[in-house]
Amino acid sequence: MSAPSPLPRRFGRGAFGRGALGLVIGAYTLYTLGPFLWLATMSVRTTGEISADHYAWPRPFHWEQFRIAWVDSDFATYFWNSAAVVVTAVAAVTLVGAGAAHALARYRFPGNRVIYAILFSSIIFPPQITLISLYQILVDYGLYNSLIGLTLVYVSLQLPLTIYLLEGFFARIPQDLFDAAKMDGYGDIEIFRRIVLPIGMPAIATTVILNFIQLWNEFLFAVVLITDPDKRTLPIGIRSFMGDHFQDVGMIAAGVMISVVPVILAYVFFSEKLIRGMTAGAVK
Amino acid sequence: MAVVRLDKICKRYGNAAGPVAVDNVDVTINDGEFMVLLGPSGCGKSTTLRMIAGLETISSGTLSIDGRVVNDVPAKDRDIAMVFQSYALYPHMSVAENLSFGLKRRRTDPAEIERRVRETAALLGLDGLLARKPHALSGGQRQRVALGRAMVREPMVFLFDEPLSNLDAALRVNTRNELIKQHHRLGSTMIYVTHDQVEAMTMGTRICVMNGGRVVQVGAPLEVYWEPADTFVARFLGSPPMNLFTVRAPAEAGALEAGAIRAPLPRWRPDRLGALAGREVVLGLRAEDLHLDPAAAGPEGGRIRGRVFAVEPLGAETLLAVEVPGGHECTARLPRHIRARVGETVDLHFPASAAYLFDAGSGLAIPADRPDAARAGALP
Repeated sequence: MSAPSPLPRRFGRGAFGRGALGLVIGAYTLYTLGPFLWLATMSVRTTGEISADHYAWPRPFHWEQFRIAWVDSDFATYFWNSAAVVVTAVAAVTLVGAGAAHALARYRFPGNRVIYAILFSSIIFPPQITLISLYQILVDYGLYNSLIGLTLVYVSLQLPLTIYLLEGFFARIPQDLFDAAKMDGYGDIEIFRRIVLPIGMPAIATTVILNFIQLWNEFLFAVVLITDPDKRTLPIGIRSFMGDHFQDVGMIAAGVMISVVPVILAYVFFSEKLIRGMTAGAVK
Repeated sequence: MAVVRLDKICKRYGNAAGPVAVDNVDVTINDGEFMVLLGPSGCGKSTTLRMIAGLETISSGTLSIDGRVVNDVPAKDRDIAMVFQSYALYPHMSVAENLSFGLKRRRTDPAEIERRVRETAALLGLDGLLARKPHALSGGQRQRVALGRAMVREPMVFLFDEPLSNLDAALRVNTRNELIKQHHRLGSTMIYVTHDQVEAMTMGTRICVMNGGRVVQVGAPLEVYWEPADTFVARFLGSPPMNLFTVRAPAEAGALEAGAIRAPLPRWRPDRLGALAGREVVLGLRAEDLHLDPAAAGPEGGRIRGRVFAVEPLGAETLLAVEVPGGHECTARLPRHIRARVGETVDLHFPASAAYLFDAGSGLAIPADRPDAARAGALP
């Protein structure tokens, strides 16, 4: 016989307790999912229909809204701009961040903790305070209004937190593993590639998904540093449907639905590792 | 096959005035020898091992393997394998990958890697576990994988850093025997660090006892046990540790008489004992040399009188803790059937040849002039 689970006891009679628990969880799911479902229904309704009745069920389903958004409203351009900037930035942040975190966690060198303290201090300041200076730097180097410039800014924005998170994880990898790999004949770079990266994968996946979501939705720096319409990223593209007097709500909803797809995919792909990364060290 | 020579090896942390972890270690480990570095925590034995491995830099002195100075040779080029206390198995690799990791780096032929991995696995009973990850193995199995990872490389020298300390008592005995067996089979030079005297006594060809970063004594296990160089070695080897009594050497030679203690010293020449007269010396007696029965000590035996303050029956034997006037305590290891009560006054008898003498100031042994016949036969 298996050990009695503590839940039914606390909730009284088994079936009733489980039912109550299901009710609470169901209600919470509806509460968080509701706005998303509402948005989903709006994405297949025209703005006129939405104005007539905010909450009505789509009748008929205007699937062409997605085509209009993607083709006629340049959402394809915004999407690929976003994808190029964010994927490049996340890749660079992950590679550089993991290398830096490994160096800070493993090697004793003068200034190690000073660098760490400076990185940490840059996390606690709001990024907005760097906006004006970054703008000036990009103008000076001819990177203003360019996707490369925006990518570099994104890398610099996310790097400190990435290094901070990974350093904490990498520092917990036992020194004996590095010594064993050294005895097995491996050099520093090989040890990083064959030991640190695979063992640190849960933490790396965590930073990848956090950085991806953060940068995919980033608005402030994109709106300040990009002016050309054909260089806009998705959040700025969606913003362009909001005029001073008229807001194309149906089109905005379709745009948002398109923009959340990569985030959901990234989460599905990395979620198991994300959870493992977040709970690493919690149990043991 | 290799001779490892440590010539005045020192390890200092920080600058030249920094704390010394290893101080002037001078030891030669012969080809095929199983050398045990034994000592308490912080005595520098692990640091010495890590310097041999190439994981720590050497502050001064020369380390050579087969005559080649390797002070500045990186760990990977020393052809040494090491088994760690934590096993240090790569958690993301299967047992087979763990075993072959070092060979792949050395660009060994894949067919040869396969052969060696299978052979080692068969030898250590890991055949059925090759596809498993370390987290799916028991402590004993992990230990064997760690040993296999070292063996599969067929290195010149094996290093072991307390590899048995994470195992339970029964498994420890098994693995100890397994290691002894593998040493006989491979005939390689092995250096083994431990703080466990039983491991040292049972496994070592020779033992190198360390304390405070220095080598105190090097010798065969029984030699170190029976001829300890100083009071530290005398107490560190042996369970319970050797009983020590600080007493003033008498003016008349031949025997120590100090209150409750009477110890004839026939193994030292009378003139040498005479030279000690009036000085403080330390009398040493092993717990197993103390008997309640005067006959066991012989007609010329010595005696200690004291009050029993603890009786510890261990099943196979009984330990008797006795308070001796003059502020001393001593422990006797007696047969299991003895009857003694706490508070009772007893006479503990010992053969005259069982006594050791140490200098009270330096703690160094005052060597006897005549060897103990009973022990001499057992020494190599």
